[in-house]
Amino acid sequence: MNLLGLGKYPLDNRRLIGALFLTPALLYILLLVGFPFVLSIAFGFSDVTVGNTDLSYVGFRNFLNVWENDIFRQVFETTIRFTLLSQIFILIFANILAVIFTQDFTGKWFARFIFILPWATPVSLAMIGWLWMLDTKYSPIDYLLLQMGLLGRGGLLSDNRNLFWLAAPDLAQISVIFVQVWRMTPLATVILMAGLSSIPTDILDQAEVDGSRFMRTLLQIKLPLILPIMVIALLFSMITMFGDMTVVYVLTRGGPVDYTRVLGLYSFQVGIEGGNLAQGAAISLFAFPLLLAMAIFMLRTASRAEVR
Amino acid sequence: MSIVEISGLKKYFDAVRAVDGVDLAIQPGEFLVILGPSGCGKTTLMRMIAGLEKPTAGSIQINGADVTELPPRKRGVSMVFQSYALYPHMNVYNNIAFPLKAQRREKKFDKATMRGKVESIAKLLEIDELLDRRPRQLSGGQRQRVAIARAMVTQPAVLLLDEPLSNLDAKLRANARDELKDFQRSSDITAVFVTHDQIEAMGLGDRIVVMEKGKIQQIGSPQHIYDEPANEFVATFLGSPSMNILRGERHNFGFRPEHFLPKTLQDNPENSVSFVYFVKRVEYLGSDRLVYGYIGGHENKLTLAKVPSNVRVSLAIEDEYEFAVQYDNIKYFDEASGERIKAPADFAR
Repeated sequence: MNLLGLGKYPLDNRRLIGALFLTPALLYILLLVGFPFVLSIAFGFSDVTVGNTDLSYVGFRNFLNVWENDIFRQVFETTIRFTLLSQIFILIFANILAVIFTQDFTGKWFARFIFILPWATPVSLAMIGWLWMLDTKYSPIDYLLLQMGLLGRGGLLSDNRNLFWLAAPDLAQISVIFVQVWRMTPLATVILMAGLSSIPTDILDQAEVDGSRFMRTLLQIKLPLILPIMVIALLFSMITMFGDMTVVYVLTRGGPVDYTRVLGLYSFQVGIEGGNLAQGAAISLFAFPLLLAMAIFMLRTASRAEVR
Repeated sequence: MSIVEISGLKKYFDAVRAVDGVDLAIQPGEFLVILGPSGCGKTTLMRMIAGLEKPTAGSIQINGADVTELPPRKRGVSMVFQSYALYPHMNVYNNIAFPLKAQRREKKFDKATMRGKVESIAKLLEIDELLDRRPRQLSGGQRQRVAIARAMVTQPAVLLLDEPLSNLDAKLRANARDELKDFQRSSDITAVFVTHDQIEAMGLGDRIVVMEKGKIQQIGSPQHIYDEPANEFVATFLGSPSMNILRGERHNFGFRPEHFLPKTLQDNPENSVSFVYFVKRVEYLGSDRLVYGYIGGHENKLTLAKVPSNVRVSLAIEDEYEFAVQYDNIKYFDEASGERIKAPADFAR
């Protein structure tokens, strides 16, 4: 039984059990994150296309081409704008909801369950749902507005019977941001709820005895204490959103014109649909230094705000 | 007039009767200790006084006003938690100033007044050098002082303390106990101190409230509850080692190990009861010898004797001796209820 020098009880060996538990995560990172990442770097510096898979080194040509492309610049800017705007709303809503869901009220369990659904639903399915909700002609939202007299002849919002959610440039952008907020808020809320419930009850009791009311306790005790966790929640949703393409792919395909085209989608359209793998890889790699800097900055902020 | 008046107070958590009918009057300026084993309801009682827990029944009056339904901030009480519950993200100054800031609108004082109050209480507790530090940079003793300063800065009617010494190491604790008592005396504050530690209770309390199973068992001065326990629970809960309780024919009787001595050592042998004592084991504790043995006729129950080390009596293991207890050191308890009863006229074991 001593073949591998592990002793009679190999599961009691801390090094072995540690390695064993780490393996799946390591494999996941290597195969599904590491390999594609290295591959995309290789692609980015080559002239590979779907038709010609020989990798020959072309230096920074792809990156320069991409950077000089007006569409790319617009896409890049749209991505940053969508990400930042949605994060603001996610943060506000997640904070409010987390506070509500950590209070005691009847039906809390059910409310939490309903609320988590947007996050638990597969993205593509949820997006097909929203595609119907925001349909140009049959949108139930338009129907409701119509019944309320806000749409149609003499309506406050438009004389038209529809608002054309995904076809009008401004509304399309608002719709995409709204759907992203709808989709990402539950995760941020759950993270913040964990943070809020990790605050020792003694601290909250003390604040109450000290005479602190709801808002003071929230702003001066609870929020500062969960700040590190809030930063982590923000980081999660920011990175997810920055690289996301599913939402716009299903809802708008980047349209109308280029108004809702984001980096992930553009990279997919150029690299996979357009067949120019090298350019597609270069586009997606532009996000890397930005996200890396953001992650480092936020993690440092979080560890500095860590007080316990 | 008493500063806190509690009557018929009950708190049930579903089927658990945490506090089960408590009447208590706390006098101004007194140091009242609530003592009991864990789960006896002492912390729940304190939390109800603070307003953190709503009573199931009964009422609480503070300074003559019924506060039963009022939130903590309207009660004029402050509290020091076992964990000290310092706000970890605030420095010492802001920790102490927090209750002032929270009550600023009602009490109407400006920033300078606030600073003055914080600084003077900090000075009193000798933490004025630490005002810029964060709680994690403080020692256990310093944290405790900050917690007390924060509780005292609003000049509350009552200071509630929930086992504030139990997080300190043993060496610091005796010192902290002493300082706490001095501070309470000089500031003349009414203090309610919850603990399960009888030494703390005896050392600090002007009066001790002994609780068990949600009910008050006895209230009195440390000496009174030690010498004249109201029932078997109080008799055995206080004192270390605890009182020997033996089963008599009609009732139980007990005596403390320090009163159970070789007959030759009794000052007044004719006023005492003698027992045949079989010594099983002797522990040498420095100032005392702790003797474990059996009394003739009560072999089913280990009986302890605490014999001072400085008396020249040799106690050998497996030997029999004549031990005695003075009459007035024997307490009698009702067999069924455990309540203390008068010494029967026909003293019999």
